[in-house]
Order: sequence, then structure tokens, then C-alpha cells
Amino acid sequence: MDMLINPTVVELSRLQFALTALYHFLFVPLTLGMTFILATMETVYVITGKPIYKEMTQFWGKLFGINFALGVATGLTMEFEFGTNWSMYSHFVGDIFGTPLAIEGLMAFFMESTFVGVMFFGWERMSRKAHLVVTYLVALGSNLSALWILIANGFMQDPRGGTFDPNTMRMQFSSFIELIFNPDAQAKFVHTSIAGFVTGSMFVMGISAYYLLTNKRKDIALRSFRIAALFGVISSIGVITLGDALGYIDGQKQPTKLAAMEAIWNTDYNTVSASWNLIAIPSRAEQKNVFAVSIPYILTPLLTHSETTVIPGIIQLEQEAKPKIVNGIKAMIALKEYNADHSNTQALTTFKQYENDMGYGFLAMQFAPDQDLKKINATNLPSVLDKTAKDTIPNVWVEFWSFRLMVAAGFFMLALFAFAAYFSLKNEIEKHPGLLKLAMWSISLPWVAVEFGWITAENGRQPWSVFGWLPTFVSASTHSVGYMVFSLIGFTLLYSSFIAAELYLMFKYARLGPQEDHHGHGAEPAGGGMAGQPTFAKLSMDRK
Amino acid sequence: MKNLLTFIGLAAVMVLSLFLAVITGDYGPWYFAWLVGTTMIVLISAAGAIMFERQDEEQLRKQGSNH
Repeated sequence: MDMLINPTVVELSRLQFALTALYHFLFVPLTLGMTFILATMETVYVITGKPIYKEMTQFWGKLFGINFALGVATGLTMEFEFGTNWSMYSHFVGDIFGTPLAIEGLMAFFMESTFVGVMFFGWERMSRKAHLVVTYLVALGSNLSALWILIANGFMQDPRGGTFDPNTMRMQFSSFIELIFNPDAQAKFVHTSIAGFVTGSMFVMGISAYYLLTNKRKDIALRSFRIAALFGVISSIGVITLGDALGYIDGQKQPTKLAAMEAIWNTDYNTVSASWNLIAIPSRAEQKNVFAVSIPYILTPLLTHSETTVIPGIIQLEQEAKPKIVNGIKAMIALKEYNADHSNTQALTTFKQYENDMGYGFLAMQFAPDQDLKKINATNLPSVLDKTAKDTIPNVWVEFWSFRLMVAAGFFMLALFAFAAYFSLKNEIEKHPGLLKLAMWSISLPWVAVEFGWITAENGRQPWSVFGWLPTFVSASTHSVGYMVFSLIGFTLLYSSFIAAELYLMFKYARLGPQEDHHGHGAEPAGGGMAGQPTFAKLSMDRK
Repeated sequence: MKNLLTFIGLAAVMVLSLFLAVITGDYGPWYFAWLVGTTMIVLISAAGAIMFERQDEEQLRKQGSNH
């Protein structure tokens, strides 16, 4: 009998989605952050009337524009990917998952795209205040766009607002309110959005540092550096505290993710003195850490915000999964019987009894003879249970280290922003070239953090595409290996060309910098009388 | 008339803000935190820029008095 699902196709589908998502997220955080930084600069322009802030908004807006265009291009393909490569997933949760995606396109993306055009070309066509409102609408639109995507992702992490219908064999909406106010979606949105603020801040601060080091438009560089440093230090505090909140929420719903993230193999019932692994080398085969540097008394309060909550280890979680797997197998067999004959009320009753564990039955399919749950018998059941239970745990090594790299990058950036803000507020930043160099060389760090953040979130969700309900391996389409390899290579080449184009344009325009003041000075009339033209500031202090 | 319209407009913004605060405060505390936090980040950063202008003017004045 042919295998129902080809594991190679599933792995290639996962790789393709991971690559396109990680590529796409190289563009997204900068958009999320830059829009609000541009709004901040323009706010200062409207408040003070100083044209230099308009020039700053326009200059940084140009770099934002390059990023925005490529971000849109890479995002569109991902939505199609759900249909092409994840057709079972789309069938199973399309009713729920598709709704926030549709709202994102129709509301947030249209709003953002419309106003971004007005923002770029509307300087001379509207009053300063009206233009400022437009810039804020772009910022709001881009972050609303992220909100709806993260609501969809929140459903995958903690499915709320939907129920499974055995007649249609798919999950259907039960509550839109539960979907949008899902705690996981909320915490993930604020964490991701503020991570975008950190990215935008580091981008502006790093490039401003480069201008200060090379004596290029210090008037703009010093002001941009000040805004970015303050924006960054508060955002960094926010992203770390909100990340802790997200970890706490995820840990309650996804104990397997939490245990893998901290490489906890055995449950420590002595909650007060439980040790937290600062660094570890986890071994899946040996089910222990072959090396670890641990600090006692930290683990429980750090992860659970209490001193008495027991954190289950991986070995315990595997054992706890076994009864669910048995129930899930019963649910899936009953569901199959009910689908063959809808008058079979006994099968429906049995399914309803074990419905909450049906996902574990799906999961056991891959280890059942010929992927047929009916072929599981008393002889092969222990083997199926062992393999399936082990499969409920995500890759511990990847989870542990991606989380630590994200956190390390986050704390490093907080320290960098704190020093940068301190010396900028004292107007002494130019006396610290080492700090400026560090800021310049740290430009890529927020991207490292957000990419590892996504790897932590999505690797930790495995083996599920919808946690507890639908395993990843049954979510994929039944393409051939050749088709997947061909499309994977195509996407990689296309997206790599996008990245190359972005880097080329960014480096080109960032190196070029804001143009020098060659045309004389003059205050700009309110309402943007000189709009559309390069605006040149009358500098109150020449720092060149 | 202009004052009245401004008053009505600001009153509408206030009602909308209160509505948002009540709804998001009850159902979406993290969304509410984002609204408040983002506003705070923008305002503090903008205040930092305005402070820069004051420091700039002060330094310019000191340089002028030295000459």
C-alpha cells in the first residue's frame, strides 16, 4: 500500500514555509518600527516648525519605502502558500484562519497601502497637520496588518473561537471575540510590534552613528540618533517584559514548548531550588543534558511567576501524552466510521467522548502500520505509543538555543540603547566613538533576534500546525518531491534576489545620506509650501 | 462656530478613547497596553528631540556670549 503522506514532502513543505516566512520577516519589523519613528519625527516637525525634522522624515521615509515595497512582495506569496502547500491545513481551519487574513488584506493592508502613497506624494498637497495624520495612519495600518496576522498565528498556538464539526470534517467559527482576544494573540502582537520598534530604532541609530563617524550631516544624525536611542531604550524594556509575558502565556498552554525552551527533562518537585539552565547541550537520544551550566532558585519564579508551581519535564510530558494518544486513536477510528455512514450514532457518540484528543490520533497515524489506525493492535500499540509520545516534543536543541540567542540579543540591545540614550541626552555622544561604532555594527542584531524569536515560537509549536488539534505532518498538500524541490529552489532564488535588491538599495541610499545644504536657508511656510522639494534646514549650530 | 466644532471633535475623540479603554481594558489588556505604550514611546522620543533643540539653543547662546 502506498504511503498516504510522504514525510519528505512534508519536510520540504515545512522548509519552504520556514524559508519564505523568515525571508518575509526580514522586511516586516523594519516597517512596523520605522512608521512610528517617522511619525515621531514628523510630530516634532509639526510642533516645532523646524524644517530639519521634515527633511529627516523624508530621508528616513525613503529608506522605509524601499523596505516597504519588498515586504509587500514577499508577504503576498505566503498567503498563496497556505493553499498550494498546506491544503489539508487550509481545509481543516480555513474558516477560522482565513478570516483574520482576509481582514488583514481588506482593512489593514489597503489602509496602509493607500496612505503610504499619500504620505510619500502628499507633502505639497495638504497641510502639515493633515500630513501628520496620514503618517500616523500608515503606522497604525502597518501595525494593524501585523495584528491580524498574529491573531491568525495565535489561533495556531492556542486554538480558540472554533469547534470541530464531524459532518464537514473541519473546524468552524464559534466566537470571533474569542479569536481576536486570544491571550496568545494579544501577547504575541505586542511583543512582535514592539520588536519592530526596536528594529527601526537600531536601524536609524546605527546609520546615524555612521554619519557621525564620517562627519556627514551631523545636524540630521544627532537628532535622529536622539530620537532612535530613546525610542529604542523604551521599546527594548517593553519587548523584554512582553516577551516574558508571552512565554508565561505560552508555557501554560504549551508545556512541551516551555520544557524544550528550558531543556527541562525531569520534573523537579522541589520548586524553590529548581535550577535554571543558563546554557546546556541537550541530547534527545539520552533524554538529558550532556552538559549544562545551571543556576538554582531561579527556574520556578522566572517561568511561572510563583515559587510553588511545578514545571513538568519532557519525560513526564511524554508519559502524560500516552492516554491522550489512546483516546485520540479511538476518536479518529470513530470519526472514520461516522464519515462512512452518517447514521452511525454509536460512532458519533464515541467520537464526541474522545473529541478533545483527536489531534493525538492524527499524530499516531504516522507510526501506525500503513498509516492506518485500524491496524494498531495490542502487539504494536506500545511501540506506536512510545513513538507518538516522543513526537509530541519539539526539537529541544533548536528550541533551547534559538530562545537563548534571541534573549541575549535583546539584553545586549537594551544595554546599547541605554548607554546611547544616556550620552545622547547629555549631548556627549560624539565623545564616544566606540559606542557609535558598536551601534553601527549592531544594525543587524534586531533581525537576528526576531528571526530566532520566530524559530522559538514555531519550532516550539511542533509537531502541531494547530496546537493539540492538527499535526503538521497531515497539514501538507500531497505534492510530489520533485514539485516541492523545484518550487523551493524557485522561491529561494526569487527571495534571495529580493534581499540582494534591498541590501543594494539600502546601502546605496544610506551611504549617500541626506543631501547637503547647497541652496541656502529659509524657514518653510506652514502647510508645506516647499513640499515636494528637498527641504534645507537653517542650522542653529554647525557641528560639521 | 469653529470653537464649538473643535469642542465636539475633541469630545468625540474622548468618548472613543474611553470606549476603547473600557473594551480593550476588559477583553484585551495587552492591546490596551500596546495603545498606551506606543503613545508613550512616541511622546517621550518626541520630547527628547524637543529637548535637543533646547540644549542646542543653550549651547549656541553660550558660544555667542563667549565671543
